[in-house]
Amino acid sequence: MTAAPETASGSGGGGTSEGLAALSVTLPTFTGPLDLLLHLVRKNSLSIYDIPIATLCDQYHETLRTMQELDLEIASEFLTTASWLVYIKSRMLLPRPAEGEAEDPREELVERLLEYRRVKAVADILHDEDVVRRCLWRPALAAPDAVEEHELDLEAVDLRVLARAYLEVMERHAIENPSPLTVLPLRHTVEQKMRDLYRRVREERLVRLLSYLHTLPDVEEVVTLVMATLELVRLGGVRAEQRVRFAEIYLRPGQKGLDLERVLEAGDGA
Amino acid sequence: MERREVEAILEACLATASSPVPAGVLAGVVGTEPWDEEAVERVLAELADGWKETGRGLRIEQVAGGWRMVTDPALDPYLKALHGRTAKSRLTTASLEVLAIVAYRQPVTLPEINFIRGVNSGSPLRTLLDRGLVRVAGRKKVVGQPFLYRTTKEFLIHFGLDRIQDLPEPEELTGERSEEGPAGDGALPVDEGNEPTDTD
Repeated sequence: MTAAPETASGSGGGGTSEGLAALSVTLPTFTGPLDLLLHLVRKNSLSIYDIPIATLCDQYHETLRTMQELDLEIASEFLTTASWLVYIKSRMLLPRPAEGEAEDPREELVERLLEYRRVKAVADILHDEDVVRRCLWRPALAAPDAVEEHELDLEAVDLRVLARAYLEVMERHAIENPSPLTVLPLRHTVEQKMRDLYRRVREERLVRLLSYLHTLPDVEEVVTLVMATLELVRLGGVRAEQRVRFAEIYLRPGQKGLDLERVLEAGDGA
Repeated sequence: MERREVEAILEACLATASSPVPAGVLAGVVGTEPWDEEAVERVLAELADGWKETGRGLRIEQVAGGWRMVTDPALDPYLKALHGRTAKSRLTTASLEVLAIVAYRQPVTLPEINFIRGVNSGSPLRTLLDRGLVRVAGRKKVVGQPFLYRTTKEFLIHFGLDRIQDLPEPEELTGERSEEGPAGDGALPVDEGNEPTDTD
């Protein structure tokens, strides 16, 4: 790779170091094509108002080539600008039309470079400020998140408002402080239910368990009865049948007789 | 009221305020005869100088149309050690360029920013929006109705500006002369018409 003569002129290296010089050019990262152009203008001390477009164009392309060789990702905007430069360069080569209305093909480029240079100048100022001021901490001694104090206009408060406020407070209080759970003494025992149910099954030969449970108003009794049923089934004193899930459960006497009293006295028949 | 008392009140107010407090508001808080806005402002300025000279950990500064308390920037490493984080992350070159454009040309749209920078600037702009340095200020009444962007009060605070007008003019910075003063808030490069064009 042979660097363009313009590239070498700025970096005083001779012969073999030219490749290295080209590399060093790409060390700064450019935020965009205008950034790169401005860098080239500055590096070569070109006049922004009278840009030697051929030089700039060549160096721009040279830089892009180097970026490619370094496998740097090149944003599409860089390529668009590259073709724009070629366009300007070619228009500069064309003979100018009649005097007067002659419009400099570089005009937009110059305007945009000037504008961008201003932006860079301000960005530099902001950067210098940012370096220092991003180190500032605000005291966290914040005022307590006090509830705003409303001054109460006593005359505006009538009794109804007061009563409503009271009810609201009490309601909230009741929600936040529910009355403690009261535990009632056991009114049903599994043993007693086992005796009752076993006797009933033996007498009636068939008991519809679910229908029976539905007649009981007391949840506690229902639970006790279910426990008793399970216990009797386990002991073999009662057989439970069900045709389909969730359907009625039929209770019949078990195969063998059960001396329930003895089992209950012993605590467990198993 | 003694001046010492006024100073104490002002210090307490600034220490507990979440954003810069205008001198007028502070004067209202003090609320006694000789301590009007002007007098309070003078006390604040002298307090600020005093704190800076005696090298306290805290400083008083005038930003965004008010006064606030901040730490001495030199103490940043210690605060990082204490809090395990930085006060604010640094702004990238791209973000600073976008911010510069918004600051000078506000209200401005993203396509305009893209044009001036020559690259798509959506990502740095989003960063600035997230950091609260830039805000959406309506839509431009052109095709596509792009959002218009402006700098925020947080921008003034972060960069230590009392008003947006306190930003230096870019012409001063680049050494360009602009005979007709700064550009009006018109279309893009308006003031370039009078640049010396010594081409032929």
